[in-house]
Amino acid sequence: MNDPMNKLTTQARLARVAKGKRPQYFSDPATDKLLSMTMTLMEELSVTRERLDALERLLASKQVVARNELEGWTADAEANAERAAARAAYVERMMRAMHAELDEITRRGSPQTDIDPLDAVGS
Amino acid sequence: MPVFNRHAMQPVPNLDEQARQDFVSSLRAHLSGRLMPGAYKVYENRVEPGFRAANGRPPHDHDEVRKAMTQDPFYQFWSAMQRRSQELLWESVIDPTERQLSKLIETSKAITRNAGGAGRGTLRLDPSLPLPRYHAAVDIHLQPGGYHTEFAEDDVAAGVVYDKGINLYMGGALGAENNLMGDILLAYLREKHPDFRPKKILDLGCAIGNSSVVWARAFPEAEVYGVDVAAPVLRYAHARAEALGVPVHFSQQNAERTDFAEASFDLVLSHIVLHETSKSALPRILGECHRLLSVEGLMLHLEIPRGKSIIEKFMHNWESYNNNETFSRFMTGIDLKAEAIKGHFAPERIVVDEFAPKLDVAQMNYAENFFWKILAARR
Repeated sequence: MNDPMNKLTTQARLARVAKGKRPQYFSDPATDKLLSMTMTLMEELSVTRERLDALERLLASKQVVARNELEGWTADAEANAERAAARAAYVERMMRAMHAELDEITRRGSPQTDIDPLDAVGS
Repeated sequence: MPVFNRHAMQPVPNLDEQARQDFVSSLRAHLSGRLMPGAYKVYENRVEPGFRAANGRPPHDHDEVRKAMTQDPFYQFWSAMQRRSQELLWESVIDPTERQLSKLIETSKAITRNAGGAGRGTLRLDPSLPLPRYHAAVDIHLQPGGYHTEFAEDDVAAGVVYDKGINLYMGGALGAENNLMGDILLAYLREKHPDFRPKKILDLGCAIGNSSVVWARAFPEAEVYGVDVAAPVLRYAHARAEALGVPVHFSQQNAERTDFAEASFDLVLSHIVLHETSKSALPRILGECHRLLSVEGLMLHLEIPRGKSIIEKFMHNWESYNNNETFSRFMTGIDLKAEAIKGHFAPERIVVDEFAPKLDVAQMNYAENFFWKILAARR
């Protein structure tokens, strides 16, 4: 997440939400969103653990930081700013289900995500 | 981690992007391999007995099964997670693609600069070709932007994303070059028609040409053509095939009516494409195959089985209701032989086969006891 390559170096932006009505799985649509977010959280936790694991192994193998030294570390101002930006991007990913709903509302009138996939091929 | 041939046309994921793709792969293996069989158990032990108790009879068909299953809390949760895993899959591939898109477009141009010479493939695009409604109305398989959306000039993003995406979709079971579908149909041809030596082969709905390349490798003396309606996947297909050193001639055309001459091919193929079309397009595509084939030429279409029992039929339609595989549920009731007759093939020259090729261990996780459906016909 701290990779500077992640900061918009290309002009083109790709779509992140597919066109077509999303099924509702639970009686309360809030549950659908909560599950989507939980699964993104699962993913990001896995990503973080692997990154941390890679770092700790690297540091230990180079005899730079012993694994137990990490516990006493605190961030300086620059590190804090970078970590804040990374957290903002992380929250953005977490909130994708909400943004998708907003997109759907704002696109109403120019039909995009409210097309029923099955209507498109039924005849 | 899925086996994947990261050729010149694939982006290099950074540490976190790689970890996201690996997570999606582990997640999907669990959802498909561990939890999906649970849906069958839930049906046998809870949903079907509940239906009997309420109605005094078992469900008549897969539509009744669907009404009952979508009320079941286990099925609901598995289904919602399966859906989300598909969305996460695309997101995990889109991030590195977007980050490196300009470089990938440059690479594509550099690789294809001197295409068309001896031993090289070609690309012919037609920006005026209308996209069929069944293709563009929704994004097939939830790939954001589908196969056809262009996000930049000379865009290849849809192809880049599709190639890595389908590799993750089956946890690498499609093979290092997403070659499994081509391999299955090729194995069928070798088993049923061992002496058939095609000279000119056409792959319909070829997308990134992953199957076209299989055929070009198998019959190096044959000319291989691939058509698709979507430009960005074709640009990628061309650059990919050139990067792999396999000559294929790609063009942007609708399989319902191409510009190739009558009787100009002796082998016309499609790989899990027919279920992405429509009721009206299907017989037109088969009619076009008939027009394009020379006498004694062979048509082979690989299709996904639709299930035998009503619970299998219901489960096989999951992709239709939940993964924008719009037409596939209508395939459950379609008689492929009758469709081929509509396409002017003689009834006695049409075979609808079930085929179970030998699979490796990774493939077995996804395709154990899986009988593929094949529509074969001779001109």
